[in-house]
Amino acid sequence: MNLLTCTSISKRFGGIRALDGVSTSIEEHEILGLVGPNGSGKSTLINLLSGLYAADDGQAVFGDRDLLRLPPEKIAAAGVARTFQIPRPFDTMTVRENVSVSYMFGHRRHSLEAARDAASEWLAFTGLEAVADSPVDQLTLHQLKFLELARALATEPTLLLLDEVLAGLNPTEIDQSIEMIKRIHERGIALVIVEHLLRVVTSLSHRIVVLDQGRVIASGDPTEVMEDPAVVAAYLGGSRPNA
Amino acid sequence: MTARTKTLLGFAIVAVVLGLVPNVVEVLDAPGFYLTFLFTMFFWISQSSSWNILTGYSGYFSFGQGAWFGIGVYTTGILATKHGWPFLVALPVAGLVAGAAGLLLGLVVFRLRRLSGEIFALTTLAVSFVLASVARLTSLIDGGRGIFMTGTPLPEFLGDFRTSMYRMTLVIALLTVLTAYLIFESRLGWGLFSIRDDEEVARGLGVPTFRYKMTALGTNAFFGALMGGVWALQIGFVTVEDVFNIRVPLLVILMAVLGGMRHWMGPVVGAAIIYTLTDRLNSAGLADVNQVIIGALLIVMVLGVREGIYLRIRARWIASGVIFFGAMAALTVFDLTSSLIWDFSYALLITMAMLLIPTPLWERLTRSRITAPPSDRPPEQPVPSKTAGT
Amino acid sequence: MDVDLLAQAAVSGLLIGGLYATMAMGISLSWGALKIINLAHFTFILLGAYLTYQLTTTFGIDPFLMIVVVFPLFFVAGALLQVFFEWAKVDEFRSLLISFGLFIIFTSLVRTVWTADFRRISSEDNPYASASIFIGGVALQVPLIAAFIAAVVIAVGTSLALSHTHFGRAVRAVVQDAEMARAFGIDPRRVAVILSGLATAYSGLAGVFIAMFQVLSPTMTFAWFGIVFSVVILGGLGSPYGALGAGIIVGVVAGVASVVWGPLSAPLVTFLLLIAALLFRPSGLFRRSPA
Repeated sequence: MNLLTCTSISKRFGGIRALDGVSTSIEEHEILGLVGPNGSGKSTLINLLSGLYAADDGQAVFGDRDLLRLPPEKIAAAGVARTFQIPRPFDTMTVRENVSVSYMFGHRRHSLEAARDAASEWLAFTGLEAVADSPVDQLTLHQLKFLELARALATEPTLLLLDEVLAGLNPTEIDQSIEMIKRIHERGIALVIVEHLLRVVTSLSHRIVVLDQGRVIASGDPTEVMEDPAVVAAYLGGSRPNA
Repeated sequence: MTARTKTLLGFAIVAVVLGLVPNVVEVLDAPGFYLTFLFTMFFWISQSSSWNILTGYSGYFSFGQGAWFGIGVYTTGILATKHGWPFLVALPVAGLVAGAAGLLLGLVVFRLRRLSGEIFALTTLAVSFVLASVARLTSLIDGGRGIFMTGTPLPEFLGDFRTSMYRMTLVIALLTVLTAYLIFESRLGWGLFSIRDDEEVARGLGVPTFRYKMTALGTNAFFGALMGGVWALQIGFVTVEDVFNIRVPLLVILMAVLGGMRHWMGPVVGAAIIYTLTDRLNSAGLADVNQVIIGALLIVMVLGVREGIYLRIRARWIASGVIFFGAMAALTVFDLTSSLIWDFSYALLITMAMLLIPTPLWERLTRSRITAPPSDRPPEQPVPSKTAGT
Repeated sequence: MDVDLLAQAAVSGLLIGGLYATMAMGISLSWGALKIINLAHFTFILLGAYLTYQLTTTFGIDPFLMIVVVFPLFFVAGALLQVFFEWAKVDEFRSLLISFGLFIIFTSLVRTVWTADFRRISSEDNPYASASIFIGGVALQVPLIAAFIAAVVIAVGTSLALSHTHFGRAVRAVVQDAEMARAFGIDPRRVAVILSGLATAYSGLAGVFIAMFQVLSPTMTFAWFGIVFSVVILGGLGSPYGALGAGIIVGVVAGVASVVWGPLSAPLVTFLLLIAALLFRPSGLFRRSPA
């Protein structure tokens, strides 16, 4: 059962074609890996799906709405959330307040009082209770990334878009993040994971979509896709992959 | 009792106490000037609080407080004098007119994807002066000749002119600050704070940013004009130069910055302090120095006391209370100055001197370690670019 | 409506549009390249005007020579200002507040030194105020011609500098990514300081021309807000040619409006132009320059 169906999505920035007729789909409860060399359009696709930019062409049907025609607030209300590669917490608020605000507005609207309690649940889930009342500038990168997750989860999404969640982390932190991603998935949330660390993506994902220069060049079972000669050529021809 | 109940009770107590002041003044046969001093302070408290609801809470900088003030003055002026409307009816109408104007502005500027904040700031800067030229232009408004407001009839129950002004300004100031408080502790408030911190992210989390910004702007404009309408009576003879100048927008910004933009009490404290100081400077004959001091003070506050005086008072509340009330007591008991207002201003200055001591130094002096609020800490590293790659 | 009158208004508007462009250039560069909205530029224009007034009146210097005096002086002032901003490590919001504080302080100083009385360079010290060149029945005021030529020179010069010189490339690099530029040996702070000096010098220059044909008063800056911001936004941030083009458009529109609806209508018409631009072409009528 398709949760999200993307058809012919295109986006240009000036003279550069960031995305060119990208079509793909995500099923309920699936983990989809989105990979490709630098500049292939991965983050652009996430940005379009979350409403940060407007697409030039195409559709992204989620339930009965087209995400590409919705403003970001409505996308959140529909049940789609995202995290940012470089964390963007609300920097005048504490960790708890960041998550509370998210809960107040996300998929369903909640009151101020309800949000304060609910935030604790998400803080516990992401292991941030110890720093819950700290201002965000005291957090490490790893904690900030988990805060991104907690905030996104607090909007109660059915689809979560993770944009390079592992970037900048050391191996221990990466392992912890992978555990977290699995636990998120166990809650029934479908995930799109944009990642450079191929070994991680291939082990986590049910399916992989490979982009190169804005086009889908392969899609399917992770192991098979990564051995596809076209995919190998795209990576070696472009920048080296982080294995 | 919840915190909210306590605060609302506080509001009620303040309302009653302040409401009784005219009666006290009459009984004690005290100079009527005390009433004027207080109601002018109420004017500024209301203006800076309503400004802060927009700029402090949402981060959308407005130079346009003068525009709402001016619309309030002129709308009541025209309705009450040229069309004979009862003053208390013209007043809320003036508020609504300004609210509508604000919403119109928001409609154009808030929908911009990029630079919305900066462009909003600049447009508000230009708006007041454009309104001034419109006012001069149309004979229906002013045609350059001015409006006489003195002698506008007011309902009897308000008392004589001074008492009427006091009561009206008190009510409006209470309403404005109460609104600022209620928004502060509401979803709307938190939504606005998230817009201030990162509007793009806020939208992605589901905050209805456009609607909230419009609400803040409309509220700001409404109260700005409401108080402006009352002030038309105080001005007496309303002219374009008197109304559409830099004074209101400038002072309001300074008051909120000084008091602190992150809390609803900030503008109240800031207005009280700045108004007292400028008033005393004026009566000491130093009116010219005023503006340079204001400009310098603004810069010093922005650089030195980022979280504002109010939050600093909260952090150093024992010392603040002791110094302020101690000074007031000493000055009044030993009759060191010519009036209560001078006592008040000196006590304020002494307290402020203590508050301006930089936090690191203060912590060493008092051997305490208070965690400074986040906005007080300068960034340690360059902030990484916030746009995602590829 | 008298065609001659309209033609005169349009031509004068064109020329004064050049002045508007120069006035706007400083803020446009500051905002586009330095990401600082520097309201103090309005007072720099004011100071440039008053300085010109004072020195021509006291020493009888030809107003045109003031260009040579004002440009380097204000360059230094602008550079120092940027050094202050760099030291203060302020974000955009705070820089706006601080520049507003500076605006207030400088305006006060002008009022203290020169009082609120209107000032005008006498006609013996400034023979250009009433001098005009006549072409085809239309009078071109000399100060305006000079201002227009200066605007074109500035626009062309700045644009070429941005695209062809090493410094220009450094500016564009810093604007796009300061950290990367640093990795290539460019010092973003030095670039910012020089750019700020240049922007301030342009503002001072605009003041010189204003002193040549206008009556000065400390509050004249308020009338400039609408015009300058219209030009900045219409022209696109940081674009010298954009500022020139937008200046001309605003100048012509305001000039014609003055004639058709009276001089008081000009601020309103300019403002409506700004609103229209925001509604239909928010990134400016002209494409943004690389900076």
